[in-house]
This record gives sequence, C-alpha cells and structure tokens, in this order.
Amino acid sequence: MSEYRLIHRTALSDKQPVDAAGISLTALPEGHVIHVLAEQSADMSATLEGAAAQTHSVRYVAPGQWFIVGDEPLADDAMAALLTRLTPHAAGVDQSHGRVRILARGPMVECVLAKGSGADLALSAFAVGRSTTTLIGHIAAHLTRVEDNAFEIMVLRGFAESLWDDLMRMSAEFAE
Amino acid sequence: MASLVSCPHCGSRPKEEFTVKGAALKRPAPDAGQERWMDYVYLRDNPRGAYDEYWHHTSGCRRWLVVTRDTATHEIAASRDAALDVPETRA
Repeated sequence: MSEYRLIHRTALSDKQPVDAAGISLTALPEGHVIHVLAEQSADMSATLEGAAAQTHSVRYVAPGQWFIVGDEPLADDAMAALLTRLTPHAAGVDQSHGRVRILARGPMVECVLAKGSGADLALSAFAVGRSTTTLIGHIAAHLTRVEDNAFEIMVLRGFAESLWDDLMRMSAEFAE
Repeated sequence: MASLVSCPHCGSRPKEEFTVKGAALKRPAPDAGQERWMDYVYLRDNPRGAYDEYWHHTSGCRRWLVVTRDTATHEIAASRDAALDVPETRA
C-alpha cells in the first residue's frame, strides 16, 4: 500500500477554458483512447465501422493504425470486449491514461493552428472527419477536423499542459 | 526546396517533422561476403543530382519513406512508403 492517497486528476484540470468569438479551447473528458495497430493489408473497415456505430469515434493515424476514442471511460469488461473484437488481425492498446484530447473551435481555428503546424488544414484539403499527426511547435499532436470550424487535438498526457499553454498564446490575438 | 517534404500519407510537411537516415541501398544477402557488406555499411557515392534516401516521418505517420532528392537543388522528385511501395529495398 502507498503511504499517500493517490488522487486522480485530469491533466488539464488547472486550466481555464478559453471561450471567445474567434476561438474556444476546451479540455475534453478523459474517456477512452485505444490505439489500434493492424497487420499489413488487413481489412479492418467492418470492425472499425462497428466500433464507430457504438459510442466510439474512430480516428485514422497512419496505414494500419487508428485511434478509437470516446468521452465515457470504458469499464474493464467493455474494454476487454472491444480489444477482443479487434483480434486476430489487429491489436488494441489502451492509451486512455496516456493521451489527452483538446477541442479547439471557432472561425479562427485554422489561423491558430497554422501558427504551429505546417499541415494543410484548409477545409478544401482537410475535410470533416480527416485526421493527421503533425508537429505543433515542437510537440507532436494528432489533429482531427470534427466540424467545419472545430478540431480535436490529441496529445501525449505529459505534453498536454505545454501544448495548452502554447495554444493559449497562439489564440491570444483572437480571444479578446 | 527540401524544407517541404512530401509524404505519401500526409501530404507536404516541413522537414522538421522528419528524420533522415541516409542512402536507400539494396541490402546484400547475409552470405554476400565481407567486401560487399563493407561497401553497404561504409561506402557512399555522394552524387551531385538525384539521390534515394530513407526519411522517417517521425512526427507524423511514423512511416519510413524513400525520398528521391536532388543533392544540388534539394528538389524532391518522388516520395514512397519504404515498406508498401519499395519492396526491393528490403532484405
């Protein structure tokens, strides 16, 4: 037994959300994040569509890799059932504790992200539902366009506070 | 300019997202002999012009790419996934 009581705190619990006309930043609930890694040339579309039809969202990462995410924490048996459904041609790794999601929304969101990333995030090139991994400043982050004017930014938990502070600074001119 | 590198999976990205490994050479057979292996490990051509290199999209899709880059102008002629599109470079 630990001598100290372990207190579970969300990574961005100390941060005030930004809510302005140009841009808003919100820390999303730390629900679940499962990293799916499939065998080369395995067809995972049916399995992933099945997951997306439930309370999950599926985000593309790279060839053969996806994130299954959601706002609700998964109970042990639901997690086990999901990981079993991915087998035998893929494996799922629970990253719920390790990756934090931030929602950036507003008409200026592309301008904010363009200050940190070289990825082409114009709506014509990067439609709703598309995802990509890119650098925001020096921090690797996974971006998904969830609405015309909103991006979900997923980042490793240890970098979440730094990225939040960077995003605050990048948003400052639009958040008055 | 090589400051923008095209990735077959992610599109055009700044070079800061990548790690360069070096020349993309065909790996000799395990029993090819010491001389061939010395060449493969240590000797490089250093051409002026087109050059095939391994680039890793470290801060992106994390795939190994084979990028054809002009060593004089830094223009990039082609960029393929090393495992999916260039199987001949694998052992």
